[in-house]
Amino acid sequence: MSEMWINMGPQHPMTHGLWNLRVRIDGELVLEVDPEMGYLHRGIEKISEDRHYNEVITLMDRTCYVAGMAWENLFILGAEQALHVEPPERAKWIRTLSEEFQRIGSHVMWYAAFVQDIGLMAPFLYGMRDRDLVLDLFQSYTGARMTYEYNRVGGVRNDLPPGFIDRARKVCDWLLDRFQEYDDLCLGSDIFRKRCDGLGVLKAADCVRAGITGPMLRSAGVKRDVRKDRPYNAYDQVEFDVAVADGADVTARYLVRMEELRQSVRIIRQCLDWLERNPGPAMAENLPRWMGAPYAPVGKEGYLLKRNYPKGVGLSAIEEPHGEALAYVVNEGGEHPYRVKLKSPIFTNLSAAKHYLVGYRVADIPPIMGSVDVCVGEVDR
Amino acid sequence: MATEETAVRSGKTELPLLWVAKPLATAARQFGRSLVRPSTIVYPFERLEDPKFRTEVHVASGKPIGVGAVWDNYRGVHALNLETCISCNLCAFSCPDICIEMVTVPGGDPKHPKKCPQIDYGKCSYCGFCSDACPEGCLTMTTRYELSVTKRSEMVYSPERLYGVYKEKLPMNPIRLERPKNEDSILLDAPLCIGCNACARDCPTNCITMLDIPKAAPKPGEKPAKRIWKEPVVNDSDCVRCGTCISVCPKECLFWGTHP
Repeated sequence: MSEMWINMGPQHPMTHGLWNLRVRIDGELVLEVDPEMGYLHRGIEKISEDRHYNEVITLMDRTCYVAGMAWENLFILGAEQALHVEPPERAKWIRTLSEEFQRIGSHVMWYAAFVQDIGLMAPFLYGMRDRDLVLDLFQSYTGARMTYEYNRVGGVRNDLPPGFIDRARKVCDWLLDRFQEYDDLCLGSDIFRKRCDGLGVLKAADCVRAGITGPMLRSAGVKRDVRKDRPYNAYDQVEFDVAVADGADVTARYLVRMEELRQSVRIIRQCLDWLERNPGPAMAENLPRWMGAPYAPVGKEGYLLKRNYPKGVGLSAIEEPHGEALAYVVNEGGEHPYRVKLKSPIFTNLSAAKHYLVGYRVADIPPIMGSVDVCVGEVDR
Repeated sequence: MATEETAVRSGKTELPLLWVAKPLATAARQFGRSLVRPSTIVYPFERLEDPKFRTEVHVASGKPIGVGAVWDNYRGVHALNLETCISCNLCAFSCPDICIEMVTVPGGDPKHPKKCPQIDYGKCSYCGFCSDACPEGCLTMTTRYELSVTKRSEMVYSPERLYGVYKEKLPMNPIRLERPKNEDSILLDAPLCIGCNACARDCPTNCITMLDIPKAAPKPGEKPAKRIWKEPVVNDSDCVRCGTCISVCPKECLFWGTHP
């Protein structure tokens, strides 16, 4: 039989960004896949070494443009460890709230893109419409819809505005109804189930061996969630369940994400209750000026190193909407981080493409890759 | 090579579903609601800034809820109050994109021209660090978001143009950041100082005064030191911590620090 290589990407509706999937096919059958990443590399880790800690936040928003708040949280957690700063309790809860809203925004965005991959247009529009409410909520307290620049070393920029908690509660109620509609549209459809059941199966052992994290891992039945296993921010004080499924296929990933959306609403309601009861400062007091300011103070070259700021190393892991992200921040006493290393979960999930693509048909590739939830900005950094 | 077994892994389901009855019913319900309450607005003719969107926005299903407006803390085009700007450079220092340039505006005295920020919106990322850094609150961000121009040079907003935005009285970001509680102060490395007055001359808030100091007797066998016998004293309560004095000091004798 004649085998051939085809390129799906870098400009292909399936890729959701700039990356290339080279596929060796025999007729309709996928024999070998070779994902190529790197088209969107911006050198964010290197640029971070030349910026003040708070200025790095502007880069983190652009690392993953659908989950900017999660990456802000990730870097700030690492930076605060490295700088020996403890944020006030209220800032931790606000960050938890923001991250869960971001999870809703990201998962709903994933839902919209995924159903469009498999050819459904109306749910795409519903998803984008509902995500807009989350973005509007973000705008009402951070000032921007996607690039928030909200976290600072030692807390968050400003407290929640008056009336925010009521609005957020309304949005939560409204979103829960919409999640039910999503299920009606997808799980209630025979066509959707026939298209997605049994596709892209990756069993638990293979997931663990390939280092896959996030909803993909939980769809294989592995109960692994950083929010539970290594709680950060206020996750040790909120109640929620880790969503798992056991199909390990596309439908299972859909189920996991839908359950996570409901759990996010549950966490958000607890956060709103707590924030309503406990007013307080959202920024740590008595920060050294160079840490609290958004800019580097002026001075002659190298004078900051002379001042012997405490050195430190920060390593933070969070459960980003796409999986388990990691940041490593080294503080050598200067005003800039000495080294920033970011570990993207999607990079790992995408690199393991051959484990869940080989053996299926070419027409199955868009739903399978859609279920991985690719955000190329964070793959290439 | 793919075996026969891998070739049949896809496509199998036996579910008791009413085919697509449920999705169709949901979509029909949505369609019916969207006829009554559309969730979109007709953008150039309707705008989110309109007061009617300030309280509620109509969404296609469920009750109208209070999101969807452009909130006052939206980070859009800057507004600059030229009259209160003290030319401290802090906005330009804080800009991560280096899109702020301090340009001379009329109004200062000829010896020390007044310099105010000029912003290149081709580079600006709307992070808001400049308005956070502004000690006088004269550089703020408004809710204006429409910036399309026909020439690239029009993307550069001069201070006068930013003042024009200020005079339009658009809604502005109401949140002002508090200054950090224990800010570093300007300290003096006294033996290096030559009393040149550069710091006091360029201080935007005039918080540096040159005080007379006693003339030190030269050590035996040495020439008397060539200097003006004055030393800067910083008034910490007026100081905005812009660091202009540190950058203009020819002998690098001023530095950040905490008072012992």
